[in-house]
Amino acid sequence: MGVSTLLYNAVFKRTSTFAVAILASAFFFERGLDVACDSIFENINKGKLWKDIKHKYEQ
Amino acid sequence: MNVIAKSSNLAPYLKASVPTIANGLRPVAATGKVQKKKIAHPTPVERILNDSLNKAILSGPIRIRSGPAASTQVSKVRFAHTDIRVPDFSAYRRESLKDPTARNRDSADDRKTFSYVVAAVTGVGTAYGAKTIVYDLVSSLSASADVLALAKIEVKLDSVPEGKSAVFKWRGKPLFVRHRSASEVEKERKVDVSSLRHAQHDSERVQRPEWLIVIGVCTHLGCVPIANAGDYGGYYCPCHGSHYDASGRIRRGPAPLNLEVPNYEFVDNTVVIG
Repeated sequence: MGVSTLLYNAVFKRTSTFAVAILASAFFFERGLDVACDSIFENINKGKLWKDIKHKYEQ
Repeated sequence: MNVIAKSSNLAPYLKASVPTIANGLRPVAATGKVQKKKIAHPTPVERILNDSLNKAILSGPIRIRSGPAASTQVSKVRFAHTDIRVPDFSAYRRESLKDPTARNRDSADDRKTFSYVVAAVTGVGTAYGAKTIVYDLVSSLSASADVLALAKIEVKLDSVPEGKSAVFKWRGKPLFVRHRSASEVEKERKVDVSSLRHAQHDSERVQRPEWLIVIGVCTHLGCVPIANAGDYGGYYCPCHGSHYDASGRIRRGPAPLNLEVPNYEFVDNTVVIG
């Protein structure tokens, strides 16, 4: 009882709320994955990206 | 001697008749002729195939006989194997239900939530993958940035004097940029829209009244009209004689529609088409 009962009754019991929950979490999952991948890429390539060397070429 | 002396002990051995029913002391000796029907025994079936197994199974009306011959010959296959142990499935069972006194209702929501969370995570991953595939597929169909950059042209408006119609090439088609005089604009604005084949007012076709920008392809069969010709002082198509006015509208001839107006915008003294 507790969290799982609440979750089951609110989300998983009906197919409609289940589908909406999947789509909504897919949206946030995509955003989170993109941000995470970008930050990993920028971390690996630190010092080589345009935003790091921009000050040398622009006044 | 005592044993021999007792005549009652010797009595069965001294009998002249032959017993046909065992009395426990002497075996039944088959010395006397007994008329009995010979019992036909079925040859025992070797149970190898479905067919031979079937023959071994008792089917149809069965006559149960007792006695030594009957008990050895009845070939009965037992399928109720009470001697086989029920396998242990506890490795596959949920922890919360292993206790035989546990109530199903107490942990039902926990178990269902777990199953649905697994399904939902799979669904989220699938939705993300499907969206990415569809997005990449559709975006691969659209024009790339270099093609889009080439698809625009800039025209300097200073280069077109008043009353002239300049021709440019835009996306493989001729483009007319016409610098209209004030009298031409006045004339086209006064045209009764209801009298036109393709009813469009002059203000719908231009952004700045002195500049008319249309695609130079006749809407009839695609010839290129001649500027400043025809009965209405606009364009004239030499192929089949369509007359367009100075607003590019069809006034006479076979063409069904006005000359097409592309998307354009004025930037200071230039016009960007596309």
